Amino acid sequence: MTSTRQMVVTLFVVAVTCGLVLSFVYAFTAPRIAATQAKLTMDGLEEVIDAHEFIAVVPDTLWRALDSSGNVLGVVFRVFPQGYAGPIPITVGLDEEQRITGIKVASAAEGLSETPGLGAKITGSDFTEQFKEKSVSEIDLEQDGGTIRAITAATISSRAVVVGVRKGIEMYSSCLPPACDPGIVFTEADRFSELIRDTLWMAMRDSDTLGIVFVGTVQGYLNDISFMVGYSREERIAGVTILYSQETEGIGEVIREKEFLDSFKAGIPEAISGATVSTKALIGGVTSGIERFKEYLK
Amino acid sequence: MSRIGIFTRGLIKDNAVFVLMIGLCPALATSSTVRDGFGMGLAATFVLVLSNLIISLLRKNIPNEVRIPIFILIISTFVTIIDYMMQAFQPDLYRALGVFVPLIVVNCMILGRAEAFASKSSVIDSILDGLGTGFGFTLALTIMGTIREVLGNGTFLGMTVFGESFKNAPVIFMIMSPGAFLVIGILKALINKYVKKVSA
Repeated sequence: MTSTRQMVVTLFVVAVTCGLVLSFVYAFTAPRIAATQAKLTMDGLEEVIDAHEFIAVVPDTLWRALDSSGNVLGVVFRVFPQGYAGPIPITVGLDEEQRITGIKVASAAEGLSETPGLGAKITGSDFTEQFKEKSVSEIDLEQDGGTIRAITAATISSRAVVVGVRKGIEMYSSCLPPACDPGIVFTEADRFSELIRDTLWMAMRDSDTLGIVFVGTVQGYLNDISFMVGYSREERIAGVTILYSQETEGIGEVIREKEFLDSFKAGIPEAISGATVSTKALIGGVTSGIERFKEYLK
Repeated sequence: MSRIGIFTRGLIKDNAVFVLMIGLCPALATSSTVRDGFGMGLAATFVLVLSNLIISLLRKNIPNEVRIPIFILIISTFVTIIDYMMQAFQPDLYRALGVFVPLIVVNCMILGRAEAFASKSSVIDSILDGLGTGFGFTLALTIMGTIREVLGNGTFLGMTVFGESFKNAPVIFMIMSPGAFLVIGILKALINKYVKKVSA
């Protein structure tokens, strides 16, 4: 019979040794793992849009595609609609006219779990090429009145791709340059001079400075919320719009509603019950953005 | 048993998958392609050999009452090591094997060899036993992966066999879960009929 003490000591020593060994292995592999994963997330972006450089707007989800002289060509986003056997990772490129430049469906080795030989055929170029140069209204299966031919015996997977791409465009097309126009939140101004790239503009009319427009991001309930705010010299909010959000459908997405956004013009609103986290996040983001940027008005 | 006997025992006569019928969950789930089966086999072999080695080294110091938690600690340490290594150097394989890499911890083949062999045998014998059992497991998964990939996807290690027309309409069912059961059943039947007679 072994003494309790011996048992405890042995277990302790073994556990500590294992922990030490693992911490060494972790320290050795962690940078490599991070590098591999960073490569994987950026992988495939240039396959859907011909661009020189990609700038992450929302990490791992949304990128802005730039040409070699820094002009915005469009956006690339990644969506994960539910397919037949699991989420389908899709990368979509969108040009400035909101037309698709290309889509790429991840292969089985990259995380696709659709049935091999059936649903997995959505990765093939026969299927994905159909999306090229189409706009959101055309993206639907032929049997649903659209222009995309579904893969035989894989309607669920095909439809999932179509729905995912369409929802993605609806969600992210607002991040394309025309919609990112600061004029949306500062209608009185007719000219904007950019102070910080993609982040801060001076709103001008004739030669007067009317106020500022800035872009900010806060952590919402599910994901980051990206928003744009116009703020006048008179310390009033000229307008607020959501550039990107992915909150709970029907609840947190109330932050996108015009009524709520317009309520900012009359002063900082109260949080909306039922969507407290999302609305509070946006209110907090707007308030701290104003705090941070209002010195530019002096 | 001779040293050679210790090594060869796990290869065919006591093959974990086809004869002892242990470690079946990863055998069924990760044998849909040659690469996955072979990769899973090697990962399990790595864990098995090293855990056998350490457990055999410590066998005189491990109190009998707490031996199972200690075995699990040692095994899970090696599983975590191979998990990190694979993520860092073989990310494609890692994603294909998915949750089955961490699940090597609960592969009863590994705990079984620790309990039945390594905790009672010399270091050299334990390594040989681990290698034999591990290679037997790898062999089983690779054979199953070959049959399923060739018939179910028309490819071998990603290379097309039997031409394009077969590749476009293969026996898809072989690459899905029922195919795994069918293949393992047929192989088991063949081994029962032929191999056991030879060794008896």
